[in-house]
Amino acid sequence: MSTAEHLETSAAVGLGTRTRRARRRPRVLGGTWWRHVLAILVILWALFPIAYVTSAAFNANQTLGSATLVPERVTLDNFRYLVEGEVPGRPGDPPTEVPYLRWYANTMIIAACTAVLTVLLGALAAYAFSRFRFKGRRLGLLALLLIQMFPQLLLVVAIYLIVLHTGAVFGFIGLNTLTGLILVYLGGVMGVNVWLMKGFFDTIPAELDESARVDGATPAQVFWGVILPLAAPVLAVIGLFSFIGVVNEFVIASVLLQEQDKFTLARGLWGFIDQKYSENWGTFSAGVLLAAPPVVILFLFLQKFIVSGLTGGAVKG
Amino acid sequence: MADVVFDGVDKVFPNGVQAVYELSLDVHDGEFLVLVGPSGCGKTTALRMVAGLEEITDGTLTIGGRVVNDLSPKERDVAMVFQNYALYPHLTVADNIAFGLRLRRESKSVIEERVHWAAKMLDLSPYLARRPKELSGGQRQRVAMGRAIVRKPQAFLMDEPLSNLDAKLRVQMRADIAKLQRDLETTTIYVTHDQVEAMTMGDRVAVMNQGRLQQVDTPQRLYDNPANLFVAGFIGTPPMNLLAASVASQNGSVSVQVGEQAVPLSDEAMRRFPAVRGREGREVVLGVRADDLHRADRRPDLPAVNANLELIEALGSQSIAYFRIDAMVIGVDEDLIDEREADGEGVTAARPNLVSAMSAEDAVGLRTGERVPVAIDTKHIHLFDAETGAPLR
Repeated sequence: MSTAEHLETSAAVGLGTRTRRARRRPRVLGGTWWRHVLAILVILWALFPIAYVTSAAFNANQTLGSATLVPERVTLDNFRYLVEGEVPGRPGDPPTEVPYLRWYANTMIIAACTAVLTVLLGALAAYAFSRFRFKGRRLGLLALLLIQMFPQLLLVVAIYLIVLHTGAVFGFIGLNTLTGLILVYLGGVMGVNVWLMKGFFDTIPAELDESARVDGATPAQVFWGVILPLAAPVLAVIGLFSFIGVVNEFVIASVLLQEQDKFTLARGLWGFIDQKYSENWGTFSAGVLLAAPPVVILFLFLQKFIVSGLTGGAVKG
Repeated sequence: MADVVFDGVDKVFPNGVQAVYELSLDVHDGEFLVLVGPSGCGKTTALRMVAGLEEITDGTLTIGGRVVNDLSPKERDVAMVFQNYALYPHLTVADNIAFGLRLRRESKSVIEERVHWAAKMLDLSPYLARRPKELSGGQRQRVAMGRAIVRKPQAFLMDEPLSNLDAKLRVQMRADIAKLQRDLETTTIYVTHDQVEAMTMGDRVAVMNQGRLQQVDTPQRLYDNPANLFVAGFIGTPPMNLLAASVASQNGSVSVQVGEQAVPLSDEAMRRFPAVRGREGREVVLGVRADDLHRADRRPDLPAVNANLELIEALGSQSIAYFRIDAMVIGVDEDLIDEREADGEGVTAARPNLVSAMSAEDAVGLRTGERVPVAIDTKHIHLFDAETGAPLR
């Protein structure tokens, strides 16, 4: 049976069950009410932390200890502080400068660059590992895997020293530069991503490359025109994960970025709760809330790419 | 359009396996040449060397008089159709067909014109906007063909393009492809393991086995005059019956001894296989096509042997009768020498070893389990040297 016929048959079968189910709906729903209750409970469970952070963001009370889930006094002050870049200090102290929007921009730049470059570099490496046979291929793959064994925390000291000394010669990738941090991030996750992408590329039939080559494509054209479009799902996943990873990353960003103007959101927001500006949980929560939309939007946007079966119909199934 | 010439081409894979030995083959301009052989015989490797997907270890390969050994696939200007079609799933049918033209930076109007021409040739016009996954197997196959013809390349290379289709569609596409090739007059090398496809489609057929070219000739000549045991056993449906026999002579007339039974050779057979004379007592292989075995009572003029009827398959107009005769079968897939040493492997008489294709009418009254005299039309038999597999011409 050809795939098309198979699809038609299964579609017909699916249609059949659907009409049957529709006819029986009242009884079926009667039996599954508990599933809906369970689903609602799970959703509440999942939304609980978000409810808390939202509450804290709108709460005029900056401490968490005495806060209630429904704020006693609702205020937009926390958001205003962030946008205006100034948080009032304790009574008598001058206001503290917080370049929140700068941090926001830094984070987006670093996350976007890291995500795009990770996908690009990872895909290039994975394509080579998947399609070419060369000396050191096995060794390279193994090395990538082995290096990933060590958590990046172990490397913090080494990374710091490397960036410090490199920066002494090439200022634009030294400490306190976004480019330096991006480079560190790119190296950090390369291994896993290359393996993931290689695994996906391996499932794309080699005949597609060969066919394109006979049609007159260079390896680069095969890569851009055939492999990358087909690998869209895995590229989307990896891009998304590196974006999120960078937005969340704290340790390396804290080590490498030491001037307030260069901070990322994670590093900058930390300042609200490490007692430096006294504990401003409310402002912190507002900052966190504002940081969420880009990630959520990216997720929704990439969702349609993260579907399997894109290679369907390439070869006889 | 161009001729494709293999001259002493070898292929050794990096792991040391040699897939093709000293292949010399001249595919004429505009010819439809079929490369046929069992799996692993090196036919696909040979095709991929023409496409530029495999490096040539030794020898030279020329396309249109140009040595292409070190040219990239792109520079060879050939088109290949893959067994699994290898369509680009993210592109529409039109874009799939236009892919090669786009890479060659043809103008938009040329691309459009050529794509429509190809789609028309292949009845694909209504499907141009679809994606491959929305097509049936036969349609996908035609898209793969379209991608090949649209570029008007020097040669078409086809790697078992029909083997993923069901039997009925395969027969139809077989005719379609053969006709298309004749219309376009493009040199075509077509790889298949199906000898029926080879016989029906090819202007000439090249039979390969274990990396070596066995014989190249027109389908009829391959059938009538196989160059060795392998070709004899490979070409033809049902396959030729190959029985171990020995040569005997009495009063100047020569016969072959099959088991305990003697088959006297006709003058015609002696003329075709003169080398059989003087081989008295030596082992030979007797080859008889299924069509040349008859019921002895219908052909009293022919010498007959007795055999047990094991099975009859009625195909409608024709019936295939499977007999068991007391003689060793010669398998052709393995090396002949090994075969004889292994003794019993594929040399068994436990299975039917004599197959006859007779008219349905003749099969009436035959009952399985009975011992039946089977007449052999010795005019058309084949005799091979048991050791070398060469015909005793």
